[in-house]
Amino acid sequence: MIASLHRILIIGRNTLTEAVRQKVLSVLLVFALIQICCSIFISQLATPDLDAAGLFTEQIKLVKDAGCGAIGLFGFFIALLSTALLIPQELDKRTIYTILAKPVRRAEFLLGKFLGVVLLLALCVALMSLAFAVTLYWQESIGLATVEASYGTAGDWQHNAHATEMHDNDVAHIISQVRDPQLVEAILLIFAKIIMTAAIALLISTFATSWIFTVITTFLIYLIGHGESLARIYWLAHGAETTIWQSGLIGLIALLIPDMNSFTIVDEILAGHQVPWHDVLNLLCYANVYVIVLLAVSVVVFDYREL
Amino acid sequence: MNDFPLRLRLQRAALVALLLGLWAPFKVAWEQQISRQQDEIRYHGLVMTRELRDGLGQGLTIGVLAGMRSVVADIIWLNVTTAWENQEWFRMGGLINLCTSLQPRAPVFWDMGGWHLAWNASVAAMHDKDQPNELRRIKASRFWIDKGLDVYKRGIENNPEYWRLWRDTGMLYDQRLKDYPKAAYYYKEASKRPGAPVFLERFPALMYDKYHGNDDQAAYAEWKELWERLTPEEREMKEHWKEKIENNIRELERKLSVPKEKRIFPN
Amino acid sequence: MPTKIDLHRGGKPPKPVDSILGPGNKGGLGQIIFRRYFLENLIRQIPNSTAHPRWISAKNVIGERIDVVVDCFHVLYFPIGNRGTITKIKMMETSAMAAPPLAVETIGLTKRYPLTWKRKVLVALDHLDLQVRQGEVFGLLGPNGSGKSTTLKLLLGLIVPSEGEARVFGLPPDSLEARNRIGFLPENPYFYAFLNGDETLRFYGKLCGLSGTKLEKRIEELIDLVGLQNGRERPLRSYSKGMLQRIGLAQALIHDPDLLFLDEPTAGVDPLGSVQIRDLILRLKKMGKTVIFSSHLLEQVQEVADRVAIFSLGKKVLEGSLESLLTVHQSTQVLIPAEMTPGQQDKLRQFLAQDGVDEKEIRFTRPSLSLEQLYLRTVQNQPDAVPKDQPRP
Repeated sequence: MIASLHRILIIGRNTLTEAVRQKVLSVLLVFALIQICCSIFISQLATPDLDAAGLFTEQIKLVKDAGCGAIGLFGFFIALLSTALLIPQELDKRTIYTILAKPVRRAEFLLGKFLGVVLLLALCVALMSLAFAVTLYWQESIGLATVEASYGTAGDWQHNAHATEMHDNDVAHIISQVRDPQLVEAILLIFAKIIMTAAIALLISTFATSWIFTVITTFLIYLIGHGESLARIYWLAHGAETTIWQSGLIGLIALLIPDMNSFTIVDEILAGHQVPWHDVLNLLCYANVYVIVLLAVSVVVFDYREL
Repeated sequence: MNDFPLRLRLQRAALVALLLGLWAPFKVAWEQQISRQQDEIRYHGLVMTRELRDGLGQGLTIGVLAGMRSVVADIIWLNVTTAWENQEWFRMGGLINLCTSLQPRAPVFWDMGGWHLAWNASVAAMHDKDQPNELRRIKASRFWIDKGLDVYKRGIENNPEYWRLWRDTGMLYDQRLKDYPKAAYYYKEASKRPGAPVFLERFPALMYDKYHGNDDQAAYAEWKELWERLTPEEREMKEHWKEKIENNIRELERKLSVPKEKRIFPN
Repeated sequence: MPTKIDLHRGGKPPKPVDSILGPGNKGGLGQIIFRRYFLENLIRQIPNSTAHPRWISAKNVIGERIDVVVDCFHVLYFPIGNRGTITKIKMMETSAMAAPPLAVETIGLTKRYPLTWKRKVLVALDHLDLQVRQGEVFGLLGPNGSGKSTTLKLLLGLIVPSEGEARVFGLPPDSLEARNRIGFLPENPYFYAFLNGDETLRFYGKLCGLSGTKLEKRIEELIDLVGLQNGRERPLRSYSKGMLQRIGLAQALIHDPDLLFLDEPTAGVDPLGSVQIRDLILRLKKMGKTVIFSSHLLEQVQEVADRVAIFSLGKKVLEGSLESLLTVHQSTQVLIPAEMTPGQQDKLRQFLAQDGVDEKEIRFTRPSLSLEQLYLRTVQNQPDAVPKDQPRP
């Protein structure tokens, strides 16, 4: 058992090394980092806050949305491409034969490759989150500087109690929006969504004949997944009223496709609303179990695959 | 080329069917539970209606479906700013509608949107040279104020905990519509929300003060209520402006000739 | 099903099996000393009783074939089945030479691929019966597409047979125990191009369960053995074909396997390297390892192999030891270290004709070096290159 896990870990680290030594990945990552950092400039295009009403809410919101959006988008692409290429590359280059000739089970091999992808994605998300944090902090300092400037011009405001109160209020407002501890929840959920995408891609790739097929199918499942909640609710409520074909199709979606829409709770977090930790943990557990099921099916399919 | 003995292929299919079949009911049940949990937070889930889809166009619709709802809303919002600069008010109104439909739980859209409509658009209408006479201008400006008000109010419906929306509505009633009782009501609600600045609690009373001296009773009631709401420690705290409250109460008590026993400040 | 006991050379004791002396008696081998008459019977049938423990085949009372070991003290060790004691062993058969378990055994091994477009079936391997004993060097010959690679893949457990059975050391080929004892050098070595030599060996070594200083020592040994000192720090994508073959050999040997599968081990390697590989194979054989290799270079096969099998179109057409296959019967070669004039040749002919040898079939030829020997002699400056037909020392 320990030996088994050890072998999985070895293959995982090897996969990670392979990915890291590839140039394509660095390019994607650099693009992501650029986008995150440039969101600062885009945020300046938003309504310059003339009064205390918006107080950089818009700008901060833009930075948050663009940052998390970039992590989600690029993470999605990195997950999709690296997982889709995992098995076909091994088969094409035939490196899989040398490995399976050693005392390694096929399941260990597959799980090891997946572990490598997971480590890779963790690394990428960590880097992108770092850039995101830096950008947010930058936005915060811009905001604070502007507040100081605007109050500075109003004359000797420190002695006016009312103005001080307003000033402190504004500062607190900005800081609370930027240093929102719930952003950690958001990053974790985005990560979970990306891992789920990778697991789906892995399953498809175990029986697909070309990596393009894997990419397209996974992408389709990802899109359909966003509508799965509607399908499921409709099916459960009105299943009996439709024809057998419609019911069957919608039912199939409800039973097999994951609910990607549940991850859009991240929007709520970014808008500043309270999302309790135990809701987030619930969703993370769901994603976890789903990934395990997908991995189990992948292992079964791969065990019976001709090389 | 794939030749697998049929027996093994059937075995594989059976295993896969078993795994997925066991998971499916759990999955559906779990997802239902998660949806319920999240709807409470989301309050109004997004339903992709026809108008919304038309307003978004194909590319953005895919963006929304791909889960990038907030980014899409933000992109549209940038256009709101452009429309404002170009004084295209109706287009701006439509875009604000779109943004708020996409993300009803992002208070900033309601807040800024209402502001653009009730303040910027209405002021522009007031100074619109194309209108033939003063009456028309007032009417047009009033039209935009009403639109802005509507946005504020729907925003409050969707985000009742957000104090700024209440305050901005109050401000609108106060400064543009001169409807002080309503303004007082909204300011009061605003001061009750988490995160509201402390000075807002005085505003309802101030509104009644401003009410052209017509309703000293109501003003008195407000000030009194404010005083009684504060605990003795809070009264001493600077931000609660003890002197001002006290002065106002004294003055009103004198004005209304409240009998000495009932006064808060008898002397 | 009784389990086998592995014979380990070098004194490491086999894993303990249940003792028949009683349920509480774990550890150590179960042993029983038969009654004398039975033992004598047994010993009479074992021709060369040497000091080494030997395997013999036997059948138990219910007719199951089991392998038992007789050691120098004529004590029988045998594996215990789940049912507890086996009190009587009826000697049904023994092999004349104590037969160790076969390294590789296939029984009716078949692999078919259905071609969906043409509604035909491609038979890659057709009912192969093959036996390779431990310690042999076995050559697989045949044109491309004749089933050699399919056989190797089946024996490695990479693909599943349509019919028939394959066993490696008596174990199913896709079991971990079997693969622990197999080393594989693939054709066009398939390795990760982004790793360098050291990292490659470390990776495969760890997969085989080696670690730490033991692994590092082993890597050093193998790098020396295959001669890759100057390439170990460079990524594999910069290796020449010969270097790839060497690293391939190194990774095949990293866990000291008992059986080696070499697919075209000298393809693309220069003659000097070829010789080194050939010597390595012979050295491995001396260490008691079994080597199965396939090659198109028939000369080399001839020099190393004990037995060969020739494949064609998925069938094994011919099999046997080189000696028996290649010897041209009914003739003799004689090497005369002098140039013979035609007159002398005729004299010899007549001399032999008196004994009944057909004159017309006697041929006089000039012996020649093989090209390889010439090359080596030139490249390595070996003044005493041996002509081809001299019997091997």
